Amino acid sequence: MPYTEILALCMIGAFFVLLLGGIPVAVCLGVTGFAFGYAGFGPMLFTLMPARIFGVVTNYTLLALPLFIFMGIMLEKSRIAEDLLEVIGLAMGGLRGGMALAIILVGVLMGAASGVVGATVVTVGLIALGPIINRGYDAGVASGVICASGTLGQIIPPSLVLILLADIMGESVGTLFAAALFPGLMLAGLFVAYVLLLGVINPKAVPAIPQAERAQYTRRDLALKLFKVVLPPLVLIFLVLGSIIGGVAAPTEAASMGAFGSIVLAALSGRLNFTILRDAVRAAFVTSAMVFLILIFAQPFGLAFRGLGGEHLVQTAFGNVPGGFNGQIFFLMLLLFVLGFFLEWIEISYIALPLFLPVFLSSGADMAWIAILVAMNLQTSFLTPPFGWALFFLKGVAPPSVTTAQIYRGVLPFIGLQVIALSLVFFFPGLATWLPETIGW
Amino acid sequence: QTSFNWKMTNAYGPGSPFYVEGPGSPTDFCKKVEAMSDGRLKIQHFAAGELIPALEGFDAVRSGAVEMNAANAYFWAGKLPAAQYFTTVPFGLNFQGMNAWLYHAGGMDLWDELYAPLGLKALPMGNTGVQMTGWFRDPITSTADFDGLKMRIPGLAGKVYAQLGVDVKLLPGGEIFPALERGVIDAAEFVGPYQDRRLGLQNAAKYYYSTGWHEPSNVTELLMNQSAWESLPADLQEIVKTAAMACNLESHTWCEANNAAALKDLVENEGVIADVLPSDVVAELKAVTDQVLSDGAAADPALAKVHESFMAFKAEHGAWAAVSEKPLYSL
Amino acid sequence: MSVMISRISDGASCTVRIVGHIAAWSGLALVLLVAFNVLARYLFGYGTVALQEMEWHLMAVTALFGMSYGLNQGGEVRVDVLYSGFRPRTKAIVDLIAHIGLLAVSLIIAYLCIAYVQASYSINEGSPDPGGLGYRYVLKAALPIAFALLSIQALAMVLHGILQLTGQRPLPETDPE
Ligand code: NA
Ligand code: NA
Repeated sequence: MPYTEILALCMIGAFFVLLLGGIPVAVCLGVTGFAFGYAGFGPMLFTLMPARIFGVVTNYTLLALPLFIFMGIMLEKSRIAEDLLEVIGLAMGGLRGGMALAIILVGVLMGAASGVVGATVVTVGLIALGPIINRGYDAGVASGVICASGTLGQIIPPSLVLILLADIMGESVGTLFAAALFPGLMLAGLFVAYVLLLGVINPKAVPAIPQAERAQYTRRDLALKLFKVVLPPLVLIFLVLGSIIGGVAAPTEAASMGAFGSIVLAALSGRLNFTILRDAVRAAFVTSAMVFLILIFAQPFGLAFRGLGGEHLVQTAFGNVPGGFNGQIFFLMLLLFVLGFFLEWIEISYIALPLFLPVFLSSGADMAWIAILVAMNLQTSFLTPPFGWALFFLKGVAPPSVTTAQIYRGVLPFIGLQVIALSLVFFFPGLATWLPETIGW
Repeated sequence: QTSFNWKMTNAYGPGSPFYVEGPGSPTDFCKKVEAMSDGRLKIQHFAAGELIPALEGFDAVRSGAVEMNAANAYFWAGKLPAAQYFTTVPFGLNFQGMNAWLYHAGGMDLWDELYAPLGLKALPMGNTGVQMTGWFRDPITSTADFDGLKMRIPGLAGKVYAQLGVDVKLLPGGEIFPALERGVIDAAEFVGPYQDRRLGLQNAAKYYYSTGWHEPSNVTELLMNQSAWESLPADLQEIVKTAAMACNLESHTWCEANNAAALKDLVENEGVIADVLPSDVVAELKAVTDQVLSDGAAADPALAKVHESFMAFKAEHGAWAAVSEKPLYSL
Repeated sequence: MSVMISRISDGASCTVRIVGHIAAWSGLALVLLVAFNVLARYLFGYGTVALQEMEWHLMAVTALFGMSYGLNQGGEVRVDVLYSGFRPRTKAIVDLIAHIGLLAVSLIIAYLCIAYVQASYSINEGSPDPGGLGYRYVLKAALPIAFALLSIQALAMVLHGILQLTGQRPLPETDPE
């Protein structure tokens, strides 16, 4: 094995040691990237660093991130979101897990509006995590539901992952969007089933609102309250989704309708004043920047992994795979999963997919089906501890009382559900291929 | 004998046919050079995003961090306005004319003259040939239809359309389809039948117009760091030049063959209505283009010099084509 | 000596806060601008290339100048599985090491960015699209400036850490677990 590839392995090892030692994520990425990159290829390649960073901060498709975060903060600061979850909890009556179901629904709807990693996790985390923990939800379960629902946006179209995969795999974006619809909804369905099951086997983790409190409201009170509180956020989601479907805005810019709408809503509810606006502006600034900080500091790491020839490690491993086509699919899934432990998904797609493409093309398998398998797998990698984007993004906005360990524990069952969904798509390819074939895309 | 390990970045994403993969593509160029030099010049290829973002190749090559980049020179219009002429000019030259100008009528000399002060050297390494006007949700019958039309169209052509009332929308490649499908934009320009079908544009709009007045041909640029280029021994330089020239021919003929088949498929199986823009519309586009080009030349002396050479050759070549090629097409 | 360190640390932190309070409004400007571009195009068919480019110019400001301000406001994200159980002194040591690393990385990036801006300035780089925003090097200049600001924030945190370890400022709190 060449010296540089050994360095690449050491870099990954050092990254994990620093990460577990409690060094902030961004610093781990930046320091190991520069140190091992310098040892491997000297200073020259690092002159590319500014170009990579400039590329991140001017990447048009990331616009949805600050826009959705702004919307989330505005909803939080104006306490619209808090009221919303409360009323939904009340309306669900004795049903345990009601508020978690509401979060899954919000995840699906926001997922249908956006496809940027982190946008939904951060937004829903901001507005929902604190309130449902206050309502007695187990912090781990609450975190798991939010992370998993937040990453649904990666598989429910439109999605950045699917757009990139379409590019790499030579499929049309429309075909992949159509192929992803049922698998995405099926995954959401599995989440719902799990939450309902949890309500039966572990009621303390997902409590309903106490009977005494529910009794304070008559049905009419509740219906009125529901209408008053649920309507505004529904309008926001309708603005975002509707502007995409109605041809008013392209997917990325549609997020601005939600953000702008949230200001208008806060103003209409009479809760907007300069202090609230200023606080919201500052909080949104901090939250967006913390997401960008990680994306920016991932650049030295990604560059070093490339420069050290890290993709050769992957290539060599691939050369030794036994077991024909299914063996190779299995290996690809395993590889994506493992790479997801330490690389961001764009880097993974670029490293792993070109290796496998020739094999899949010559096998005659449906590429849309493979793309959906890959997309679901990448989505899982957002959730896998210790390095999962969704986990970091949620940690960034979680109340200080929520620990990383709780988040890790909370996502594990959802990773299991993802694996089940993935197997279903694998054994029943029609889940992915039926819709695009039927509508002729 | 010294051997060289170089890096080439690319403005296009992994897997793109013609721009990254396939006969005469940049990755094919790397393979050709390695084979022809018996491994003495190895070039490792990085698609957009792998090492640097799509449009950062110019600076990367200039700084010497990578030796080569594959792109189109008109991406550098914000850095060197004259560079646009080495990709395509609206109502300019087709594949034959463009290469005649570059190789034999002073085009390459002007390109060298433009790039040398920045320590760069370029060669043509591919050509899409004539492109399509683009996809429209509604038919175009007169220039009045352009008024208020929302279109995804970058570059000089965007400026021309804008003067006819088109609302120019900038969108990344992946968002063209959803935006066109939902009617956020009414029209979009991409490349040609083979590439456009791959993006699924036929599912978003049915009217597919020619001709590519805005891009009568489109040159793929091989950009090199000049010191790196000069460090190559004469035989390797010759190999690079020859491989680039081979790719120029091979990529273009590949496009011709595949576009023919793809257009047939789009029309026969996908319900696409392929048509030529009405001649009075084209005439008006030409008038506006002439104005836009001469305005551009007036604003930048380096561009003016290239513009004059290009237009002089175009007049000469056009007179020849009128008696040679043109009658042949109407047979 | 320690008074001076304390003053430098506070001064650096204050600088970052002031810049952050101003730059934060770029986020609101971004929301209003994108919404305006969408609505103006849909309702009046109005749109310009410059205003569309302004969208990601504003995003770059948000992303770049937010980094230092975010850290200033305690927005660091870390895996605290082990960290939360550390003693206060150990925590302070880990933080000090992290912030020295952050200081080094941001200084290196700030330095690397200077040549990148110079390359752009030397050719008076503008937008490749007609009607786009000129002076691209001004936007690029935000890179070294933002990383210099991040270095200042990192310096403030390093000095704060030194003061903690020498007993002149309170150590990080233990988690109530
Ligand atoms: Na989505
Ligand atoms: Na992961």
